[in-house]
Parts: sequence; structure tokens; C-alpha cells
Amino acid sequence: MPYFIHLLKLWLIQLRYAITRELAFRANFFAWVIVELAWFVLQLAFVGVVYQHVDSVAGWNRYEMIVLVATNQLIQQIFTAFLMPGLIKLPDLVRTGGLDFLLLKPAPPQFLVSTSSLEIGPLANAGIALIVVLSALHSLAITPTLSATFTYLLLVLAGLFVHYALLLALVSFTFWIVQAESVLLGYYSIFQVARLPREATRGWFRVIFTFAIPLLLVANVPASVLIRNAKITPILLFLGTSLSAALLASLFFYLGLRRYQSASS
Amino acid sequence: MTAALRSLPTVFSIGLQRQLAYRWNYLLRALFSAVPLLVSWVFWEAVFQGKETVGRYTLAGLLTYYAVLLIVEAVSSPADDDFQISREIREGMLNPILLRPLPYGLYRGALFLSGRCAYLVAAFVPVLLCFFILSRVVHLELASFDILRGVPALFGSALLQFSLTLCLSLTSFWFLDISSLIFLVYSLEFLAGGHVFPLDLLPAPLFTAARFLPFAYEYWFPAAALCGTLSHREWQIGIGMQFAWAIFFLFLAHLLWKAGLRKYTAAGG
Repeated sequence: MPYFIHLLKLWLIQLRYAITRELAFRANFFAWVIVELAWFVLQLAFVGVVYQHVDSVAGWNRYEMIVLVATNQLIQQIFTAFLMPGLIKLPDLVRTGGLDFLLLKPAPPQFLVSTSSLEIGPLANAGIALIVVLSALHSLAITPTLSATFTYLLLVLAGLFVHYALLLALVSFTFWIVQAESVLLGYYSIFQVARLPREATRGWFRVIFTFAIPLLLVANVPASVLIRNAKITPILLFLGTSLSAALLASLFFYLGLRRYQSASS
Repeated sequence: MTAALRSLPTVFSIGLQRQLAYRWNYLLRALFSAVPLLVSWVFWEAVFQGKETVGRYTLAGLLTYYAVLLIVEAVSSPADDDFQISREIREGMLNPILLRPLPYGLYRGALFLSGRCAYLVAAFVPVLLCFFILSRVVHLELASFDILRGVPALFGSALLQFSLTLCLSLTSFWFLDISSLIFLVYSLEFLAGGHVFPLDLLPAPLFTAARFLPFAYEYWFPAAALCGTLSHREWQIGIGMQFAWAIFFLFLAHLLWKAGLRKYTAAGG
């Protein structure tokens, strides 16, 4: 237990440093908030265009779809704030040999790689996404119960695990491929699956993205908890698969780390 | 100027070698670019449940559009040219380039061309595979494919995207970090460029407005020209707008370059 407290203290120090840095570059902070907001508006515009032509997609009406898209945005922005900035630096660290400095520090390499950088800006967009969720729920005349709210938050956390697992696995390819900048494009491409209503999918696509890479559960299950009082089975399935995905990605990272050879002299 | 033009094949060759050294990176990029097509397929299939058409599109017509976008992207989208140019300016790496008797725009143009060639080689099989898989499931509307109108629109798109990239990157003379600006323009390109959905699905006033912007001529116009869904008159107006925007951005890039050089500080030894 003291070990975890030690790691938590380290993380809080890095968080404080990130806040100080963001406040030093305020223009940059606001620029990124606007950029991320533009991408979110893009997704909502897509929903708007589609629902101009139809009333329902796979049983999801316009406002239910907005809850789904905004929930996905909420999870993605929290992930972008706390874990993504560190992970995407791994390819560069491996190529330049800069990983040496992290490996020498007295903390687990995976922890240091994952938390070495933090960004506060995306949290503003997470807040906006939450407001959009609440506003869509209001349009649906739904007031979430306390237990639904708690379950929703727990499932948002599970969603973070899935995001984390996927990106950790993708950036770990850098131990095999020298230039792996494309993995970030891969992450953004693959995560488009999370915005799909699960009912719209079928066959092998549904099986792969439910059990192997549980992207179809990331936003669908939390959104369903708010909209439709989701059953316990998909909730447990999601919690189980998200934890397994994170563990497997961690194993893959350490497998890759064994191949690491410092690039410096 | 003749000496400068003679050196372009060498710059192209060096660029190509540099790009092919990271062929795995390109192959991954090509593979991942097919994922949005898969997602669009699944999503639109659900939208079309019980409907023959959405707007003026059938499901097959819409999927043909998304598949053709893969070709447009492979031919015309810059990879990381914007970040490379920005780094060259920010880190004082322009010094050796400025000493060469070669205009910077031509130098970057040759590198852009080499990058596109390398990407086309890597993307050829994945794109072909996408078309093959899709054609097994839906009847892609390839009969109306219009190479004669599509190819000039593709080249126009490449020129437009290159010139826009050049303009954005050259703002590095004034700003420390332009990545937020680059990603903001990406989002506009995706929405107003017809990357997320064909622009003619927009309500009529918005569609008209979008056609006045340069972004429509980066993706939607070349894809629609290739798909053969434009009338000859629409194509003529489109190609005129596309080249007008490209020339405008090239001129703007020229001005930015001249003004930027006056601010440039050669850092490093």
C-alpha cells in the first residue's frame, strides 16, 4: 500500500508541474481547447446531418445518439488529459534513446511512460461534453438516478482502461518498428468504432469489437445506463473486458521493453 | 533557374529514399486509413435500414464515395510536411537550404511529390483490397467512374493541399508552436471538405456556402468528379475554383516566405 501512495505522490507532483506549465502558455492552452472543441462540433454536425434524413439509427434517436457521442468525447478527453500525452512520446523516446532516463528512475517503467506528461486543456472539453450529455438527457426528459450516475462514472473509468490498453499496445509496436508515428493515426482511426451504436453492428465485427477489443462497449454501455437502464450482464462484461485489455496491453509493453536497446552511446 | 530545375529529380530521389526507409510506418498508415471506411460502412448500413436513398445517395453510391476518398487521400494529402517545414523554421534548419540555388517552394514540392509516391506504393495493395472486399458485399457504382474529369481534379486537390500546407507551415516564422492551428484546419478540412460525409448531404444553403470555401476542393470535389456524379458545368466551375484557390494559396505562401525570411534567425552552428 505505501508503494501505491508513493506512486500517487509522484503523479500529483507531475500534475502540479503540468498545471504550472499550462498556465505559463495560456494562449496555447486556449488554442487546444478550441481545436478539441472543433472536433467535437464536427461529430455533432455529423449526427445533425444524418438525422436530417432519418429519425432513428439502429434504434437510437437523435438525442440518444448525442448522449452516445458526447459520452465517447468525455472519456476520450479525460484520457487525453491524463494518459495520452505520455504514451505518445514513447516512439520518440525509443528512437532517440531517451527512454534510458525513465528506466533509471525508481518507479515502474509503465507508470513513468504513461504519466510522464499531462495536459489540463482537454479537461475543459470533458466538461463541455458532460454538459452536452446532460442537455441531451434533458431533451429526452430523463433524470438519472443516483445509482445510474454512479454506475455511469464507474463505466467511464472502465472506458479509460480500454483507451489506455489500445494506445499502450499500439505505441509498444515502437519496440519493433523504428518509426511508429502512424500508431497515433491508428488510435484515432480505430476509436471511431466507439461512436457506433452497438445495435448497428453484426457478425464478426460485433464479436471482435466486443470481446477482443471492447470498443463497442466503451461509450455504448455507459450511455445505455443513462438512457435505458442497461442490464447487469453487459456492465459486467464491459468491466471484465476492459480490465483484461489493460492487462494484456501491459504484458505486450513489457514484452517489447525486453527488446529495447539504448540508442545513445 | 535551369540549375534549380535540374536538381529537383535529386531532391525527389532523396525524399523517396527517406520515405521508403520507413515503409512500415507508411504501410501502417495506409492500413489504418481503411478503418474509417469500415466504420462508415457499418454506420451507413444501419442508417439505410428500410430506406432506398438518403439525400441523393443509395448505400452503394455512398460507399463508393468513401472508397474513392481513400484514393483521393493517397494521391493528394500531405503526410507530415507541415510539421517538417515548421521544424525546419523553428530549429534553424533552413540555413543549409537557403544556401542552395533552389527555391524553397520547389524543394518542398519535390519532397511532397516523393512522399505521395512512397505512400501510393504502400497504400496500393490495402486500397485495392478495400475495393475488392466492398465490391463483394455491395454493388459499387464504378460504371460511372470518370477518369477524364477525376484525374485533373485529383492533381488540383494535391496542388491545393500542398499550397495550403505550405501557408500554414510558414506561419512558424511568427509562432513558436503551430500544431494547434494545423489540427484546427484539419477539423475544418474533415467537416467542410466532405471527408466525414459527402457535402451534398448538407442542407442546400450550407452546401452552397461550402462550395465557396477551399476545403470542398480538397476531398469532396475530386471524389465526386471521380465518381462521375458531377455535371460538366459543375465540374468546370469546380476545377476553376480549385485552381483559383491553389494559386491564391501559392501566392500567399510566396508573400509569407518573403516576410518570414526577414524575421528568420539562423539558430545553431
